[in-house]
This record gives sequence, structure tokens and C-alpha cells, in this order.
Amino acid sequence: MRERVDLGKAMREALPVYEAPASLQAWAREEARKLDQESPPQGEQVARPLRSRVWRLSQWRIAAGLVIAAAAGWGAGVLRPVGSTTSPTSRTTSELVDAHVRSLLPGHLLDVESTDRHTVKPWFAGKTDIAPVVVDLSDKGFPLLGGRLDYLGNRPVAALIYQRQQHVINLLLWPAPHDAEGGEHTVVRHGYTLLHWTTSGMTYWAISNLNMPELRLFAHLVQQHAALTPSP
Amino acid sequence: MGRAEGPEPGGGRFERAVLPHLSAGFTLAMYLTGNKADAEDAVQEAILRAVRYFSTLRDEDARAWFLTIVRRVCFTAYRTERPQGTDMVSIDVVGPQLVDHREQPDMVAERLQVQQRVRDAVDQLPPLLREAIVLRELQSCSYAEVAAITEVPIGTVMSRLSRARARLAGLLHDVVDFGDVA
Repeated sequence: MRERVDLGKAMREALPVYEAPASLQAWAREEARKLDQESPPQGEQVARPLRSRVWRLSQWRIAAGLVIAAAAGWGAGVLRPVGSTTSPTSRTTSELVDAHVRSLLPGHLLDVESTDRHTVKPWFAGKTDIAPVVVDLSDKGFPLLGGRLDYLGNRPVAALIYQRQQHVINLLLWPAPHDAEGGEHTVVRHGYTLLHWTTSGMTYWAISNLNMPELRLFAHLVQQHAALTPSP
Repeated sequence: MGRAEGPEPGGGRFERAVLPHLSAGFTLAMYLTGNKADAEDAVQEAILRAVRYFSTLRDEDARAWFLTIVRRVCFTAYRTERPQGTDMVSIDVVGPQLVDHREQPDMVAERLQVQQRVRDAVDQLPPLLREAIVLRELQSCSYAEVAAITEVPIGTVMSRLSRARARLAGLLHDVVDFGDVA
């Protein structure tokens, strides 16, 4: 019979101690160097370089658009609380436009700023049960700006934010009811273009002030790439 | 495990303070999430948070600080999915299994069998007990460090460790010496 060992020794013999994968180590070192190069070290500023750049680019345009949109939206009832007589679809659409407009308020667009989908996707893991497929479309002219957690129809939804020239695209997604699989449908509301589809158990809404052909191109690229990207 | 694995001295303050503990963080995440993909995501998120909040780290132990972040990420991300933790970790990766070739074949078999039983027993512990015993015995943390990382008073740590040992003793008393616990 083997001699009995103490618990610590038994555990150290039996249980693996892992080494962080090389890719993770390399990435972490990169992040560390970025931070350490800042002097004096100020994590908050380093973590948020993109927001300031985006806002410098577009804050006036967005602010001006926002005033007009808010005025038009209020007048048309889009931004008012939606009554019970409203159909589910138009109610959803109103909320989506609302979410899009809200996201354009200063400081509301992004919770995680990164053009790297490997940064954006895991970010959601800590906040929600949604594991969005994040696709990289920068070479198609739709760079990723980052992600945000939003709240819509009494549930958290994932928002992925892309850019087309000076236009911001909100791609909102959340798990679809079982068996839901639907083709696109499009809505135009007060200058905003909305495009909706359901696939692989996820409901998608793309919202922007882009024109319809360009938003449709964006949607097709997302669908194509998502189909090629393995699910988590 | 050693506390100073990782990069050679040099690099900036964050690199020297936090990166040596990347593998310790990854190991903890492996035990808390139970799979490599989630563990990688968790450590990645933890690094992002560590970068963001690094300026708040003063004279504390950077290892405990980083492990606390890793643990928080793991629990906020996975608690809802795995509340009881019964199916949380399947320690499916083969352990170090240090085989001494001078051992007789039946001794080797017995050793491997014992290792499997230890893994299964740790596997069956509730998550809070498991993390306490893993931090203490596998990662060689002091009681104070375990308390800091798991964000509970030291008395709670002692109680969790003692409950973990009692449960393990129930399963492993014939092969592991538990002193006066068993």
C-alpha cells in the first residue's frame, strides 16, 4: 500500500497548474506596454483613446443631427412613451430608434472601445448571457468601433457599433425566441434606416442614418461573416 | 507554484507588477470556469480591467489584486449559468502525473488512480470551497491572501477550508493524510 501523503502534496500531484496560452501572454504584454508607455500612468485615458478621436471627428455633426432628430421624433411621437395600442413591431422600432439616438449622446456610444473583435466579444461575457458573433468588416469599409450594453424591451441587448464614413451603425442583437428564423425586413423612420433579420437563434437590428443600399450591404456582410465564424 | 514565472525583469510598472501573475490568473480561471475558452476570455477581460484600474493599486500585493479581478470576472460571467457548480469544472486535463520510472508498474497504476480520485473529489466540491482549497493548496496563498482574493473575512476562509478538507477527507481518507481532520 502506498504511503499516505498530505493533502497539499496530493493536490499538487493530481491537479494541473496551467500556463497562460502564448497568444494571451503576448496580447497582455502588448496591453501592458501600451499602458506603461503613458507617462504618468493613467489607465482611464489609455483605455479610451478611440472615443475621443471619434468624438472629435463627428461630435458637431452628431450633435446637430441629434437636435433635429429629437425635435422630429418628439413631434412624430417616435420618442414618446409608446402606448398599448401600438403594435409590437412599431413599438420595437420606436425603442430601437430611441436606443440609436440615445447612443449618440456624448459618452453613450461605447462601453468598450476597440477595433479588435477579440476584445469586444469577451467584453460581453462579463455583462450578459449574450455571446455575440463579432465580425471584422474594416476591409469592407465598416470599421468596428466597439460595443455597448443596452437595455431594450425589458432585457439587456448587445450593441456592436460600426462606422461607415461619418455614419454610426448600431447593430443590436439578443437571443431570438425558439425556431424564429426570418428574412430581412426594413423600416425607415424619420431619417433612420432600420434593418431586421433573425438567424442562428439571434435577433438582429441594424440602425443608422445610412441610406438603405449601404445598410443592406452592411447587413449582408454581417450575415456572410457570421455564418463563417464558429459560434462560441 | 512559483510566484515569479513570466517575463524577465524589465518593462514598465504594469508589466512587472501584473504580468508575472498571468498564469496564476489563468489557472484560477480554469478552476472557476472549467474550460479553456472561458478561462482565456476571463483573463483577457481581467487584464483590461487591471489596465483600467491600475492607478488604484497602491502598496497591495499585485498577485492578490489581479487574482481578485480574475475571480470577479469569472463569477459575474458564469455565476448565473452555473449556480450550484456541480457541473462547473470537469478537470479533464491530465495532471502533472510525475511518473518515476523506477516504480513498479502496479505502483504507477495506483498512483494514477489516486490522482484521478483526488481530481474527482476536488471536482465535487461546491465552488466556494473549491476555490478556497485550490488557492490555498495549489497556489500556495496565505490565509490572508485567500481572504483578500475571495473578498471575505479570514474567519470565513478558515471555515471554508475546514469544510473543504472535511469533505475531501470523507472521500480520500484512505490515500491522503488529513491529520486530525479525518
